[in-house]
Amino acid sequence: MRQPLSRILRDRLHIGLLLATIALLAYGGLMVWSATATMTGHTALVQRQLQGVALGLLPLMVLWLLDYQVLKAWTGPLMVALSLLIISPRIPGLGASVSGATSWLQIGSIRLFQPSEPAKLLFIVVLAAVIAEYGGRIEKPRDVLKVAGFAAIPMALILMQPDLGTGLVFVAITFGMLLIGGLKGRWFVALALAGVMLVGIVFGLNAVLVSALNKPDGVLIKSYQLDRLLVFIDPARDPKGAGYNLQQSKIAIGSGGLTGAGFGMGTQSRLNFIPERHTDFIFSVLGEQLGFVGAVILLGLYLALLASALSVSGSSRDLFGALIAAGLISMWTFQILENVGMTIGMMPITGIPLPFMSYGSSFMVTNLAGVGMLLSIWSRRYGTTTT
Amino acid sequence: MTTFRQLLHGRFATLAVVVLVVLGTLAARLWSIQVISASGFTTAAEANRIREVSLPAARGRILDVKNRPLVTNRPVMAVTAQAAAAQDTTLVARLSTAIGVPTDEILKRLASYKQARLAPRVLKVDVPIQTASYLVEHSSEFPGVTVEESAVREYPGGSLAAHVLGYTGEISEVQLNAASTPDVQIGDVVGKSGVESFYDKVLQGEKGFRRFEVDNQGRVRTVLAEGAPRAGKDIRLTIDRDVQAVAEKSLLDALAEAHRQGFTKAHAGAAVVLDVKTGAVVAMASVPTYDPSIFLGGVTPAAWAQLNDKASEYPLNNRAIMAAYPPASTFKAVIAAAGLQTGVITPSTIFNCPGFWTGMGKQWGKWCWDHSGHGDVALARAIGQSCDSYFYEVGKRFYEAKGEKLQAFARSMGLGSTLGIDLSGEVSGRVPDAAWKKAYNKNYPEYQQWLPGDTVNMAIGQGDLLLTPLQLASAYAALGNGGVVVRPHVLDSVLAQDGSVSVETTPQVVSDPHLSAANLSVLRSALVGVTTTGTGRGAFRGFPVSVAGKTGTAQVAGKDDYALFACYAPASAPRYAIVVVIEQGGHGGSVAAPAARQIMSKLFAVPYKVVHTTDISR
Repeated sequence: MRQPLSRILRDRLHIGLLLATIALLAYGGLMVWSATATMTGHTALVQRQLQGVALGLLPLMVLWLLDYQVLKAWTGPLMVALSLLIISPRIPGLGASVSGATSWLQIGSIRLFQPSEPAKLLFIVVLAAVIAEYGGRIEKPRDVLKVAGFAAIPMALILMQPDLGTGLVFVAITFGMLLIGGLKGRWFVALALAGVMLVGIVFGLNAVLVSALNKPDGVLIKSYQLDRLLVFIDPARDPKGAGYNLQQSKIAIGSGGLTGAGFGMGTQSRLNFIPERHTDFIFSVLGEQLGFVGAVILLGLYLALLASALSVSGSSRDLFGALIAAGLISMWTFQILENVGMTIGMMPITGIPLPFMSYGSSFMVTNLAGVGMLLSIWSRRYGTTTT
Repeated sequence: MTTFRQLLHGRFATLAVVVLVVLGTLAARLWSIQVISASGFTTAAEANRIREVSLPAARGRILDVKNRPLVTNRPVMAVTAQAAAAQDTTLVARLSTAIGVPTDEILKRLASYKQARLAPRVLKVDVPIQTASYLVEHSSEFPGVTVEESAVREYPGGSLAAHVLGYTGEISEVQLNAASTPDVQIGDVVGKSGVESFYDKVLQGEKGFRRFEVDNQGRVRTVLAEGAPRAGKDIRLTIDRDVQAVAEKSLLDALAEAHRQGFTKAHAGAAVVLDVKTGAVVAMASVPTYDPSIFLGGVTPAAWAQLNDKASEYPLNNRAIMAAYPPASTFKAVIAAAGLQTGVITPSTIFNCPGFWTGMGKQWGKWCWDHSGHGDVALARAIGQSCDSYFYEVGKRFYEAKGEKLQAFARSMGLGSTLGIDLSGEVSGRVPDAAWKKAYNKNYPEYQQWLPGDTVNMAIGQGDLLLTPLQLASAYAALGNGGVVVRPHVLDSVLAQDGSVSVETTPQVVSDPHLSAANLSVLRSALVGVTTTGTGRGAFRGFPVSVAGKTGTAQVAGKDDYALFACYAPASAPRYAIVVVIEQGGHGGSVAAPAARQIMSKLFAVPYKVVHTTDISR
């Protein structure tokens, strides 16, 4: 029987999620406009960002209409697709490397997208399917190892790219989903310890290999990555080199003060002192131009987004849906923490953009697809299915 | 369905807490940065974008008394660089090759501490146009390096009046540290000697500034503020370029004449021409001299070493004020004035000159320069013939009169202390007395007592008496102007921007020995006698202007005699006092006096005639 439109909207549309997303898109659009205002190709950059939003609406709609439960049946192919996505930039004829670790998929001379972005979503879906099997309780060591193994494969692949930033996002997603999935507290401690030990081994081995093979650029970890970490520990180290970005970013945000220099104003943004200011360091532009007030408004919008996602997760008709939502929450929360944190010296500098704000189509499409998934879960919370 | 939701309930709460903690932590940290410590970051942002450079002010010109330029400015190109260039070793090496400045010198200039952190450092001034255009064309290879317009001193007369004018150079570290104003920076050109140094503040002007906004590459985006520099003021000297040129020529000619007479060690000398009434220095020459243009853009170490080598006779020294000589017989005019003034002698007092004077006892006998003796002499002939015995006797009487009246009179003539001329480096000379001798010989008790012979030696201008050529000229000016010592000066006036006079030197009386007109008249006729019938007659034979002067031949231990001549002229209405000293030049009447005649030919527009004469007096 046909339902009135208002009923359909109420059932299928999460008003909070929608409003938070629209507000973030608007805020992000304005900031990209402002950040690129004094750059060459300003108009083209803004246009491409808007195209990215438009492009992202397509997967949003498709995933919204699609019953997410269908994805559960495709775990095997999705796992393969995920692995292929991650290693695709390394496949001859398909990959392109831009500025270090930013890897692109390209065919011929046409650059398509950054495969690491959709990989995050696939990782969430695959891991949700795996964890959902345990019905909300992961207690036996065998089960823990199996889940950890599933998570470890794409993680290992992404770290080999090397893409430390996305690897960290995978870690955050895994932890968040394991929390909802029912991993016991002591296992978290064990996994965290194992992770710390692994990092220690990697760093130690890197140091040994660097001196043994005489490769100052780094073997397991690139030297610029090491620099970023060292600068995080000691910001005064090398203020003209690796510490420059952090210092300029902090100056920008700090000089913004309570209410900022004003939209489109701010000498740090206007005079190019902020590096990568429309992508990774867009928050520095926001901080300088709109001040503490503008920053808190952004954090408030994120709170609305994450609270909406939590309500979706809690309303899910099944554990699979709840896990997907939890994965998205973890992904966004970690990216917000890492991106905003790095601009103010709380976190080491990695190439992680700010959700819905940073310039970049692959990233925008991925985030909008995530919103689509949430809407799909929300739409089906009562067990109703389309058609 | 409800079972898993119940199971998950606490876990959602945990996840919500994690989200809140993350967002709350970020907000707290942002509060700390943006609200609590915002001002520090605002300052850092300003430091990032604002650059300030100072705009040099044009240095004032130096003109002669007739407004003819002695020192002007010439526009040149200067190479500057940002301090950060020091970190780029390949850039420094490339710069070194391009502008021909050693790398360590470039690094020193880039590292200069006192300079405003952001202002560019001057690396080289006066680069050839080829170098300037090379740097501009290859600017991408020389980041932070700029070519700017600047100016250096130009000397239309070459080395003319070099000692009076002085030279300029880059401010030294000592001067930088001593500077009280903050806008003094390395690379600033300041006066190092002479008028350039003494009137540096006037000539310097006020720097301007330009404050602009730069981007992260240091490229200028907008000029925020600008203050135009204020050019330094032109100054007019009392020096007459033409007289100065002749004075310098006369010294060189005198050196040649001395060599002709066999005094081959003569290499140095000085000449001073004063206006007797005002103390204005019409000419001041010192040989050997130097070319001030070698200091432009920094003197080379080799040239500097040569200027300070003993063999070079120290050409940087202005002997007219920095060297003190025994005045010898030129001092007899001062002794005569002292004797008349204090009543030790009268114009008609007669002393006998037997050739060998034994006034202090046979064992302390002293020769007159004329061993055959002058017989009975009064003052006029004693001066005219430069009789030593007469003045030995005057000296002895001063000693016997006690109270050091001779020294007191000498000091009242402006001797024994600096006259305060507006040039740096003036020495005080020496008027010896008992106190001085005691202090001077403090480690030699047997030489501490002032003896009759000390006063007697002083009475013929020898002994421990030392005067600068300027002091001697000033004393003769006093004899010529009616009896007052006027402060000598080289500055006529400071000119305003439109050329009008803004500050003018007014004549200043240093001291007044209270000479009576009658005594001055006696001295004048005695001194005229020197150039008409006395020791200077050969030098002034046929000279149409009446000159009141005195020759002198000073004995200096281990050296050939120094030739001196001091005078004022015209004798009837004195206008100028002139002193010439030729170190190791022989006799005053045959070497120094002809030089003075040469200068006076110019002063009085008399046709110049070379004179070769002899003088055996001292």
